[in-house]
Amino acid sequence: MSRHWNPETPRPQNTLLCHIDEVKEGDAKGVGPVGGLKRKIILIKRNGVLHAWLDACPHYSTGTPMSWKADAYFNGDKSHLACHSHGALFDIETGECVLGPCLGQRLTPVEFTVSDGGEIFIASPAEEEKP
Amino acid sequence: MNIIGPDYLVFGVDDIAACSEYLTAFGLKPVDVTDKGGLFETLDGTGILIRHKADPSLPPPLPTSNMLRQQVYGVRAAEDLDAIEAELSSDRRVTRLSDGSIEVKDDHGFELKFQVTIRRELSMPAEKINAPGAPAQRKPNEIGVWEEMPALPRSLSHVVLFVPDIDIATGFYCDRLGFVITDILSGAGPFLRPKANDDHHTLFFIRTPDYMKGCEHLAFHMGGPTELMVAGTRFVKKGYQSFWGPGRHKFGSNWFWYFNSPLGCHFEYDADMDKHDDTWVARETPMGAESSQIVLFEMREKWAPSGGPPPGAKG
Repeated sequence: MSRHWNPETPRPQNTLLCHIDEVKEGDAKGVGPVGGLKRKIILIKRNGVLHAWLDACPHYSTGTPMSWKADAYFNGDKSHLACHSHGALFDIETGECVLGPCLGQRLTPVEFTVSDGGEIFIASPAEEEKP
Repeated sequence: MNIIGPDYLVFGVDDIAACSEYLTAFGLKPVDVTDKGGLFETLDGTGILIRHKADPSLPPPLPTSNMLRQQVYGVRAAEDLDAIEAELSSDRRVTRLSDGSIEVKDDHGFELKFQVTIRRELSMPAEKINAPGAPAQRKPNEIGVWEEMPALPRSLSHVVLFVPDIDIATGFYCDRLGFVITDILSGAGPFLRPKANDDHHTLFFIRTPDYMKGCEHLAFHMGGPTELMVAGTRFVKKGYQSFWGPGRHKFGSNWFWYFNSPLGCHFEYDADMDKHDDTWVARETPMGAESSQIVLFEMREKWAPSGGPPPGAKG
């Protein structure tokens, strides 16, 4: 890392998020904000598959946080990710808004890698804000 | 038509346990709440009623994802219910219930109920402040804040609705029910107060596409800005998610702090709202960040400056 790293510039690449065992099957976990990002990253494990989305509802251009409480990102029956600002529902696997004010828009995916030891790292820049 | 303001807001939710936890942590008192839902009330008895979205006792849902099922308005007396019934029955169905209350839909399809208000009269001091040039509000040795100070919602303040047509909405509430426009944020909508309430607003409309129709937020009056910030800080410390604030609005002058909720809308603490009478002339300004608020802050973890490192130390 540069010795003159500017903390104002997000540099999330290779930032450690957490260990994969900290994300329980069927649960969501909000991590961060890390790496200079302003928003958390939502990690979800479904049927053994890990998904990662920026915790930023696309309803507003700046992206607003979606949980109603720490790690509370699902709707009541846990079928969808929900934004608890205005009730938008998102497909967990595709990030697409299927109901609510941002219908047809998508969550911002976060590329990640998992080390041999099970540590989850951000793999590429996650977009902080949409144009 | 002496409408005072919302007594209750009724929601059909998908997770009773989560909503019960949330409303209690927010500072509302559960009243006869079971696993089927119930009432969560403020200090004056106004509040939020939740049931499961499949509960057949609920009014029908909006044709959107919004969970608001009914707005229950309190009026001063039975004669006011008669007047509302007489006015609205000319062009829509008005249902008179056995307790004398009436149910009706507004022109956007929002379910309304009017009843003789259940709110209890409060007798509590507002936040007291001391300032040079003014008589002290707190006596000698009377402290302003302490760790365990109470900071509970006193009364249901206002509801904000997403509506597709501002003219239709204001026409119904002003022309048919006697609400008054106090100010207008053009591009968003008008602030309204009912005749029997001098608060700057108990109702505000925001113009949105039809598929967003519903409740954007609801708010509760606190005892002052300090109570608002203490309550909000406690709420964040418990893990709940701030959405906007704390800050202070320009129109209405009320302090605000908004939070996400499992009820599909925002919950707001508000404090120190302006009062108006019929001599007030409504202002209008375009909606925007500057017009919306005079100050805006964002909570951070507590810290305190100490002696700091010695001069020249790398820190």
